[in-house]
Amino acid sequence: MTATVSRARLRVLFAFFAVATLVLSARLAYWQTFGRGDLLSRATDQVRTDLVVPAQRGVIRDRAGAILATTVELRSLYAIPGLIADREAAAGALAPILGERAAVIRAVLDSGAEWLFLRRRLPEETAARVAALGIKGLGFEKEPKRLYPNGSIAAQLLGFVNDDGLGQYGVEGRYEDVLHGAPGRLVVERDPANRELALGVRTGVPARHGEDLVLTVDLAVQTAAERELAAAIQRERATGGTVVVLDPRDGAVLAIASSPTYDPARVASANAESLRDRAISWTYEPGSTLKAITIAAALDKGAVTPKTTYDDVGYAVIGGRRLSNAQGKVYGPTNVTQILARSQNAGAVFVASKLGAPDLYAYLRAFGFGERSGVDLAAETTGSVRPLAEWYPVDLGTISFGQGVSVTPLQLASAYAAIANGGTLYRPYVVASRRDADGEHRTAPVALRRVISAETSATLRGMLTATVDDGIANAAALARYSVAGKTGTAQIPSDDGRYADDAYISSFAGFVPAEDPRMVVVVVLERPQSKLLGTLPAMAAFKGIATDALRYARVQPDRP
Amino acid sequence: MTLAQAVRAPQVRRVRHRPRRQAVHRPAERRRQAIATGWEIRSFLLVSGVVVACFLLVLLYLGQATAVSAAGYEAQRLEARRDELRRQNALLEIESARLDSPARVEAEAQRLGLVRAATIKVVPAEAIAAKR
Repeated sequence: MTATVSRARLRVLFAFFAVATLVLSARLAYWQTFGRGDLLSRATDQVRTDLVVPAQRGVIRDRAGAILATTVELRSLYAIPGLIADREAAAGALAPILGERAAVIRAVLDSGAEWLFLRRRLPEETAARVAALGIKGLGFEKEPKRLYPNGSIAAQLLGFVNDDGLGQYGVEGRYEDVLHGAPGRLVVERDPANRELALGVRTGVPARHGEDLVLTVDLAVQTAAERELAAAIQRERATGGTVVVLDPRDGAVLAIASSPTYDPARVASANAESLRDRAISWTYEPGSTLKAITIAAALDKGAVTPKTTYDDVGYAVIGGRRLSNAQGKVYGPTNVTQILARSQNAGAVFVASKLGAPDLYAYLRAFGFGERSGVDLAAETTGSVRPLAEWYPVDLGTISFGQGVSVTPLQLASAYAAIANGGTLYRPYVVASRRDADGEHRTAPVALRRVISAETSATLRGMLTATVDDGIANAAALARYSVAGKTGTAQIPSDDGRYADDAYISSFAGFVPAEDPRMVVVVVLERPQSKLLGTLPAMAAFKGIATDALRYARVQPDRP
Repeated sequence: MTLAQAVRAPQVRRVRHRPRRQAVHRPAERRRQAIATGWEIRSFLLVSGVVVACFLLVLLYLGQATAVSAAGYEAQRLEARRDELRRQNALLEIESARLDSPARVEAEAQRLGLVRAATIKVVPAEAIAAKR
């Protein structure tokens, strides 16, 4: 009996183990076949890390190699409040270093968050002082930050990088795809201490860093332009202003200053108007600076010569409208050179009448007005030259002295550069070269078209030189250098379509040395308080910029 | 049972039957016995050598693996150090650029009471060449 029971028990036990073995074997087989991938991925996840390798944003330098914008990793301070033994003491120690009240830091630490940033992208010395405290529960994480070591100098020209790491405005915006690069990927295996395993997997795609840009901009000239513009605006209590400096030989931008400006380190607090680069995205009626273009067209077309004379009676009648000289002055017999030197409106109307509306329109368009210059900066506007079909008869007169058209300061500088360099219109450009892993790629200057003949250019250079030496722009004269240029004072259209009575835009456009021009400078002041005399500060700004730039470029004087 | 014992076990079993044969005292039998003993020793030495060689190989592998692992950690430490030095270098470059900024130099010059030169004498290159 006992033997029988034992045998039965054995059978049951055997059956139990047999079933258990079968079940376990089936389970094992499942994990070895169908469930293998799942198990493998779970095991892999425990040791393998898939990282995004950030691409380093390219450096922007001036033509001499000075850093204008670069990206560095700064330390951001984080806290794990649960690990901080004495939060009161920690807040008290951090407060003077972070420049924050201890109560505020304490409240943040007591907010209930498990992990939080106390400060992002700290200055290095501040981070070092915090690290020296040695408080357990505080740590650092490195984050990239775009820095502009020259502060607000060339702020609008450079643009900025937003919190998402994307370039906005200026060079940063225009060359975003080039500067940004492409992030890479790295897969590594790590040990429990989060150290990379020396014999583990290490695969991935390397990051493609952003290209470095070398600009045509000269930091010394740029600084001079910003300084002189700020001084002129302060003296005149003007609402804004712009300076453009071009190399007329190839259209390279040497400086662009725009006011109001902003500090790139505090973009968040800057107002929208200060972000705008007025040299390219703001238009104005150029006033008398456009007379040089009208006369250039007439000379080139053979409609007049410098000695062509007319009798100035103080005004001209065109399209049934009477257009007067500034302050109603009467000059009597006047030649074309004197029209420019005295800036006579009636004289400009006389020249334009000789030329005719179709040709004036054609030359305005040829000089690049009414279309984007093509400069490699973000947010350029076109300005406005109405189609010829929309011109009233009086428009020929008003446009001849710069009213009824709108231009950007850069367009005017490009047009003057064409006059200065012998008659060729160049596309202005800011990036001289790009450097990537393959080497340096230089930007070739682009000559868009010949606008006027070399003879016309030479003649006009002489006339503009006379305007500075003996005429209305005498305040722009420099010792030992010949200067060619023209002043401009334009009214500002108001909302009702008329011109405002008490608001002007004063400007000066010139180049130096007049015989072998090395730079074209356009200075524009918005609403200067001295109104018609606002051209004086514009000319003073020109002199300051030209003096520094010529000295810096070691341009030899061309006069005794 | 040790490995040596395991290797020798069959021989031991054979030896157990030998006394009966030894009683014959034939020279051929003694020769066979001597050969068998020699084979035993050689086998033991061979197996021992293989075991020792395997042990040494494993030891060598482990040593190399440890060395590579240690070198890997050292490389990581050096990479981190390199990255930090590069970061510090970038920060110094920024500081240098800030200090070299013409605007800062100009402001500092004004603070020190320096004034702009009213005139700058320029000597044309031709004049210098003519004097030579």
